Amino acid sequence: MFNSFRLSMTWLHTWFGLVLGFVLMVVFFFGSLSVFDREIDRWALPETRFEPQTMPSFDARLRPIFEQIVPEEEELAAARERVGGPLLETLPLMNWNAYTTHRDPVLSLTAEFAVKNNPDDPYDHVHGHVTIDPRTGRILPHDDLNLGSDFFYPMHYSLHLHWLDLGYWLVGLAALTMLAALVSGVVMHRKIFRELFTFRPAKSTQRSLLDLHNLTGVVALPFSFMFPLTGLIIFAGIYLPVSETMLEPAAMAYQQAEAEKNGLPFQPAGTAAPLSSVDAMVAEAKRRWAARDMPGEVGFLAIQHVGDVNSYVSIYRAGSDRVALVGQGVHFAAPTGRVLYEEPPPPVVFGINEFLTGLHLQHFEHWLLRWLYVAGGFAGCVCIATGLIFFVGKRRVRHATQGIAGARWVDALSVTAITGMLVATLAMLVANRLLPAQLDHRGTWQEGVFWSAWLLALLHAAGRSGPVQQGRIAPAWREQCWAIVVLALAAVLSNWLTTGDHLLKTIRAGYWPVAGFDLTLASSAALAGLTALHLRRREHRHAPSAALDDEVASDAGAPEVAHG
Amino acid sequence: MAKALLLALALGCCVSGMAWLALAMKAHWQQLRGTQPLARRTVWTLRALGSLALLVSLILCLRADHASMAALVWVMSLIPAVMLVAFTLAWRPRWLSWLVAWVPVQRTRT
Repeated sequence: MFNSFRLSMTWLHTWFGLVLGFVLMVVFFFGSLSVFDREIDRWALPETRFEPQTMPSFDARLRPIFEQIVPEEEELAAARERVGGPLLETLPLMNWNAYTTHRDPVLSLTAEFAVKNNPDDPYDHVHGHVTIDPRTGRILPHDDLNLGSDFFYPMHYSLHLHWLDLGYWLVGLAALTMLAALVSGVVMHRKIFRELFTFRPAKSTQRSLLDLHNLTGVVALPFSFMFPLTGLIIFAGIYLPVSETMLEPAAMAYQQAEAEKNGLPFQPAGTAAPLSSVDAMVAEAKRRWAARDMPGEVGFLAIQHVGDVNSYVSIYRAGSDRVALVGQGVHFAAPTGRVLYEEPPPPVVFGINEFLTGLHLQHFEHWLLRWLYVAGGFAGCVCIATGLIFFVGKRRVRHATQGIAGARWVDALSVTAITGMLVATLAMLVANRLLPAQLDHRGTWQEGVFWSAWLLALLHAAGRSGPVQQGRIAPAWREQCWAIVVLALAAVLSNWLTTGDHLLKTIRAGYWPVAGFDLTLASSAALAGLTALHLRRREHRHAPSAALDDEVASDAGAPEVAHG
Repeated sequence: MAKALLLALALGCCVSGMAWLALAMKAHWQQLRGTQPLARRTVWTLRALGSLALLVSLILCLRADHASMAALVWVMSLIPAVMLVAFTLAWRPRWLSWLVAWVPVQRTRT
């Protein structure tokens, strides 16, 4: 089919890159935002703007709150569907857990309750969940949307597309495509090192686009390769769910054997027993971590089979100074406080797996590395975006002379996936600040604004990309850049107006979660403004009469641009 | 604070190292010095300086963090370093002239 290996790689790179490039754009962009998900949460929920807290006393503060948690109404309704009738009068409590990180001012508590009358699933259960202010124990309003960790973060791996788990599969396919695109891109490029620093903004649009595509692609190669790869590793259980399907009995048996080997009871005994002091267990766990030369704070605390004689308490260290996601778990018998099992350092293979997943999930405490991740993520975004724009630029003139509309529609979709995505995100931030505080389902409203804004961006892009069919640049790009400027500044302003936290105040107070996000928004506005001005100049240069000749000439003059 | 200083120095070394490696290439040397020829000896000096600076940057990272973390920080810091050097060479090449200050500027006759 192709004359050379390189030509076939070019075909693969071009067409797979195009089809899944739109999904990749979303994954890379929201993945980059997820690096600072907790900080975005602070921006979006002003009542949680205080310093991160360590795990408070379990005995004094958490236990009374845990005892009040009841199952969520929606989960009960879903469980009734699964059971096919009413649930039992009382749902026995299974376990409690509390989770926090070094970036969380608030603490989230979860309780699991057994659903005993589901004939299909003996382990069926429902959850109850509260978020508290750990300084006072105050329970925070339930339907607050954590914009960063509940919307942007899941967006990057599920696209919020839950029907048939389609989102997960699309993202997985896109990740696989990214790996293929990188390998094929390296084959196509040839001059990886010789052109490492090459960027020629003064040359033709296509030439400088390709330079930027190569630059960001090569420079961020280790990052852009490791992230899709580790993402696939993290979700391997979803893509190859052997332990939930054909190997389920074996998987259960393994879990049980593993737990029993370590002296951790797999099932409750059915005899009640009191819970001894968990604070004492926390102190012991911290002592053991310090003895292993890795002192730290508690990140995850879980109590299995609450109230049973077989109950045990698991205490895990919060991620901080290591990349690998190891909790150095210490497990205690709940009734006595005796240590049942201290997890040893993982063997090599698990260690590698934990390094790879830890690298992606980044629970570590390292602000520079977080920003470097954002830089890598945005470099990936630029690489994908320039790839899409290059694709259109390559065909715009040819399609215009042949009277084909293909380039126009790809361009409209690119506008939607690149600037449209930013417009939707910023519109959501503005809605977060301006929707009335007492509005019911405020979170759902914000999501509604996000999707509607994106849909509007699509319609606008479709309507304002006509000039592509005459071989010109679509004005949709420039107009959406201006929308970004307006919305980003509106977000900063509305944060000031609704909370009083303007930039001077947050910077002077050193409150970086909000100051950093506001500064990022302001710089995005500036960058989008510059881009819009630049686009206007380019649009003039590609004026209707000159456009065709100019493009053809510049294409012919740069044979290296031929690939793509 | 000491850690922040170590990391700032590491970043600085990384950027200047990348700039030296770039300037050792004829195309980028010309962005800075125009038609002035790039002597073979200068090429090797620039390459040596560049590699040394990257090595120092890695050592500084290792001083600041646990080894696994340090390796990740170092690899990731190469990304903004190369981009910064590429953009500076494209738009403000003069800003890099202090890095090759010891090579005398030869004025070409106009």
